[in-house]
Order: sequence, then C-alpha cells, then structure tokens
Amino acid sequence: MSGTPGAILEVRDLHTQFSTLDGVVRAVDGVSFDVARGETLGIVGESGCGKSVTAMSILRLIPPETGRIAAGSIKFEGEELTTLSEEEMKRLRGHRISMIFQEPMTSLNPVLTVGTQIAENVVRHLGVSWKQGRERAFEMLDLVRIADARRRLDEYPHQLSGGMRQRVMIAMALSCDPQVLIADEPTTALDVTIQAQILDLMIELKEKTGTAIVLITHDLGVVAETTERVVVMYAGRKVEQATVEQLFEEPLHPYTRGLMRAIPRLDVEADAAGTRPRLQEIPGLVPILTQPIVGCAFAPRCGFATDRCRSERPPLVDAGAGHLVACWELDRVRRTA
Amino acid sequence: MSDAPVLQVEGLVKHFPIHGGLLQRQVGAVRAVDGVTFSIRRGETLGLVGESGCGKSTIGKVVLKLIEPTAGKIVLAGEDVTALKPGTMWTHRRRIQTIFQDPYSSMNPRLPSGTIVGEPLENFGIAKGAARDDRVAQLFRRVGLRPEAMRKYAHEFSGGQRQRLGIAKALSVNPDVIVADEPVSALDVSVQAQVLNLLIDLQEEYGLAYLFISHDLAVMRHISHRIAVMYLGRIVELTDKRTLFTQPLHPYTEALLSAATAPDPKRRRQRKRIVQGDVPSPAKPPPGCHFHTRCLYATAECKVTAPPLLEVAPGHHVACLRRPVGGDPGLLSIPG
Repeated sequence: MSGTPGAILEVRDLHTQFSTLDGVVRAVDGVSFDVARGETLGIVGESGCGKSVTAMSILRLIPPETGRIAAGSIKFEGEELTTLSEEEMKRLRGHRISMIFQEPMTSLNPVLTVGTQIAENVVRHLGVSWKQGRERAFEMLDLVRIADARRRLDEYPHQLSGGMRQRVMIAMALSCDPQVLIADEPTTALDVTIQAQILDLMIELKEKTGTAIVLITHDLGVVAETTERVVVMYAGRKVEQATVEQLFEEPLHPYTRGLMRAIPRLDVEADAAGTRPRLQEIPGLVPILTQPIVGCAFAPRCGFATDRCRSERPPLVDAGAGHLVACWELDRVRRTA
Repeated sequence: MSDAPVLQVEGLVKHFPIHGGLLQRQVGAVRAVDGVTFSIRRGETLGLVGESGCGKSTIGKVVLKLIEPTAGKIVLAGEDVTALKPGTMWTHRRRIQTIFQDPYSSMNPRLPSGTIVGEPLENFGIAKGAARDDRVAQLFRRVGLRPEAMRKYAHEFSGGQRQRLGIAKALSVNPDVIVADEPVSALDVSVQAQVLNLLIDLQEEYGLAYLFISHDLAVMRHISHRIAVMYLGRIVELTDKRTLFTQPLHPYTEALLSAATAPDPKRRRQRKRIVQGDVPSPAKPPPGCHFHTRCLYATAECKVTAPPLLEVAPGHHVACLRRPVGGDPGLLSIPG
C-alpha cells in the first residue's frame, strides 16, 4: 500500500501485543493511518482502545519485557522505524519525533532545573554548545509564553504550576524543531481554563513551526476544537476515519454515534421546562482483548449487528470523500437518524 | 421538590494551618473554604463547580463531618450538626452518605461486594442475616448489578460497576442527602452516561438531594438543578442551571464557560478565550476579590474590597462589585 502524498508518518497494519498471565493482549490489532506534514491528527477512543499503545509503538517505547510490535510497519519520512536499533531511535526521539504526556511531573526530572532539562535535549540532538543550549531553552520558554522566562530557567519542576509544567514539556518537545509531535492526553490532568490555554498554544505553535501533531485523547470536545482529521479506535482497531467536520457532521460507525450521544452537551439547550434529556447509554462493556475477536469488535454492543457482523470482520470502506468506516451495516446506519 | 431545605450550610469556613520554622509554629493557613452559604432541598441537585483548589471537595468533606469546620453552621434535616462529636454524629450519618470518584479505594479488597454493600445495614441495625441479604440483593438489582455478583470481590468489577456498588452502598441506609464528589470523572464516556442516568433515576425515585461536586461543566449542566461556581474558597455565583449557562453574571463564570470545549468543530473559530494565567495559591489568595488578578474588568476597588454574594435577581446570587443589584445584565458582556 502506498502512502498519501505528503505523509510524514505512515503506519501500516500495526499489531502490538502484550504477554500477560491471562494470555496475549492484542492491544493494537491491525491499525493503519498516515500523518501529513503539518496536520493535526486526532486519535480518539475510550480506555483500552489501543490509542496510547499506538503512540508508544510509533516511539518504540513498548516495554520489551512484556510487549512487542508483532507485525506491521511504521515509516517516518520513508524510514522504517520498527527495525531501527535503540541507539538510532534515541537519536530520533525528542529530536525529529517528540512527545508530551498527560502528567508532566512524571516526565520531568525533579532534581534538574527546567533550563538544564531543555538545554540537555538541545545539546544532545543538535550538537550545540551548552551556552547555546541554554539560550535555546530561554527562547522556547518565551515561545510557550512563560512569563519571566529568564528567571524560570533556574527553577525546578516543583516550583511550577501544573499548567506551567505542561508548557515546559511543550517547550522541550519543540526545542529541536520536530517534524511530528505526539501528544498523549496532554490536557487531561489540567483545569478547564488551563486546558484551553494549552490547546490554543499547541495549535498556534503548530501553525508557526509546521510540526505535525498526533493528538491522542478520550475527549471529543478536545478533538472537535483542535484536530483536522480524526481516527476513532475501538478494541485495538480503527473503526472510522474522517475529517473533523465529516465526523461531527455525520458520524457513521455505530460506536462513534453512540459516543456522541452518550456525552452530556454544554452547547445543547434543555427544553423550556428544563427537563434533562436522557443520555443514550452504550450497553455492555468493551471486549476482553485476550480472546481473539471474531467479526466486528463492537457487534455485541451494537443495535445494528447481524450474524455477518458477529462472524466476519468488516473492512474499512470509503463512504464518500475519504470518510472511512468499518461497518457491514453502513447503509442501514446511514438511513437511521 | 419540596421547599424545606434538607441541608443548610451557613458561613462555612475551613482553614488548614500551615506549620513552619524551627518550632513548627503555625505560620499561615490555607483558606480552603472561606465563608460559604447554600442550601439544598429534597429531590434537588446542587452542583459545586470550580477548578482545583477552589474548595469544592473540602466542602463535601466538612458537610459529611469527615473534617471539622473552622467556623459556620451545618444543618441537616432541621438539626444543627455542626458541633456534634463523632459519637453523636454517628447516628446522623444515616441521613447523609457519599459517593467517591474512585470507589475502589473505599472498598475492602478482602470482602465480597455483598458484604461491603450490606455493612451499613448492620452498622445502623437496620437489617441482618437473611433480611440483610435480601435488601442487598434488591439494591444490587436497583443499581443494575446481578444479585449473584454479591459473591464477587471489588477487583472483579469494572470501573462503572464499582461505581454502581458505591451507589448501592450509599443508598442502603435510605439517606436524605448524597455527597457525590466527581463520581463520573474516572469513567469512560459510555459508562459515564449509564451512571449519570442511574443517579437521576434514583433521585426521582427516592427524592434524594445531591451535593454534586465536579469540574466538568457539561456533566454539571446535565445533572444539576442549581449550580454554585466556586473560586478560591468562595462562591462567586449561584443560580439555577439555565440562567447560569445562558446569562452568567460573574466574570469567572464567563471565563469558565469560554474555556470549555464543545464537540462541535464549527464552534472553534468563533471561540474567544477570555481568561489567562493560573489560579493563585489558596494559601496566599489575592486580597479583595480573589479573581481580580485574572479578571478582564477588574478595577482598583476590586483589589481591596471582597465583594459580598448578593441576590441580584430572584435566586441569582453573584459576588462582583461591578454587578449592581437589579443591574443591566449586559454590563459585563464580553467586548468584541
């Protein structure tokens, strides 16, 4: 399969598995997608859908004691990542592909000043002097709008608020001008007003630097407001992919539809009497990933499911204008409002 | 909804001392809750919303008398429970129960779930033996769990099912009030909907009053009747849900609403974020109006005078100096 023109990252038929006492967990079960230069791609799904494991696989951060990329290909600028040595990956991470995670405190070194941590990354990857590294650290802190950046260089992570720590992480991640930034739930631990600031900052910097962002989140609001294209995952598989407008205009997979109807909406008026419209529940639970899933993974919870859904895995088909969906009952779903 | 409040809180204050120096003397205090007044009626949900450190969870704990208030008054079903010591408070705990964000941490991992849910029944002498088991089975069914699951242990349940267990346990003693502190924050969207629907059904069935604590505005809008917005230990706005979302009067409420994300890509370009900076530390809150450091409309007076919470329209309380009583709601509308 050839990639999209302009794709900087191409993930093909990725299978990532973990060995546990209960058996092999198929955390990612044949996922493919591209990331175009400079775009923001959202990967959305609930706990255990494989979105974070996908990110960890791209970065080759799957712990080798328990997990492995069992099959598939990950190409970054045409270069195969799955077969690179750890040394080669280290040169890539934090330089050409970088990442930010949910809880910045666990990613920052508590005994080094933030200036030192950012400078270290710059010196290691770009081979500049320590002094130039420090200067770059200052520029980056200033770029992510940390007030009084010169003084903050010499502060330790615990002296900063949660929002500021995440700004430091972004500064560090962007310090070597990466082509791709992978952000795994970057605002989930933050307060609403801080989340808004961080999301705005990420988008603004993306436009300024041209870094592509892969934003992994469970929050459909965050997806709607920040991404251009979206991949929806369920039980380790991609069930839908569309532009953000397509997805929210006409979600096509029954799971995506279910998700959208299950969230309380801030922007939907209650009726005049103020009665609360009932949230639509998705019945049942996510499947256990240690047992091979026959057919569509969502079939046991799906109102449209037929015998075929329970026995044959639906392929991803183009439902029009590049809107991909893996559902045997697409026509029936479409006719149902 | 009856008019008599089942829970009344007046001028509630909770300060946590900060010790420092060689002799570990008290050098300051975290003003977690700084003079909060509200009441909840039977069958009503009052939402407490605000960001980390605003004191919403502390209010929950003080109201439950898990920690003692520094000042103020708590009246539960007509009875002043403020000064009650643990021994006498105990009998009142039947009236007020709680649901936590992470029910798992509140459950004994060595006891079967049926025993956990049935414990309050024995503790309060409501039922024991076979009668207790019947009541527990009934509770399991009511919250959507199979009675056979009574034999299972907490770790054998999913997150959503554990929250159902927590709800069953809280319900077991027929309380008047349930304090729910972020009960759905740890749950996935599809499961969150199940739990919210269950809470609403139970409220209608038993006339429960909820003190519902959350940072999530969309969840708040869904479940609450009235909402109190908190900032650094104080209520800055308190009104019915509809008014809060359509005619917010406090600049902080406006800021919160402007910061919330909505699952609609068309809205993003129109959005105007109107708040910058971080929440100041509750150990050193700014003088005057706590919000003045981040407020678009702050004047010199806001920096020195703490605004009282005034009723500016029937049932609509706002603490803002720039909000005159009965004033023009357009005064604070966002410029541009």
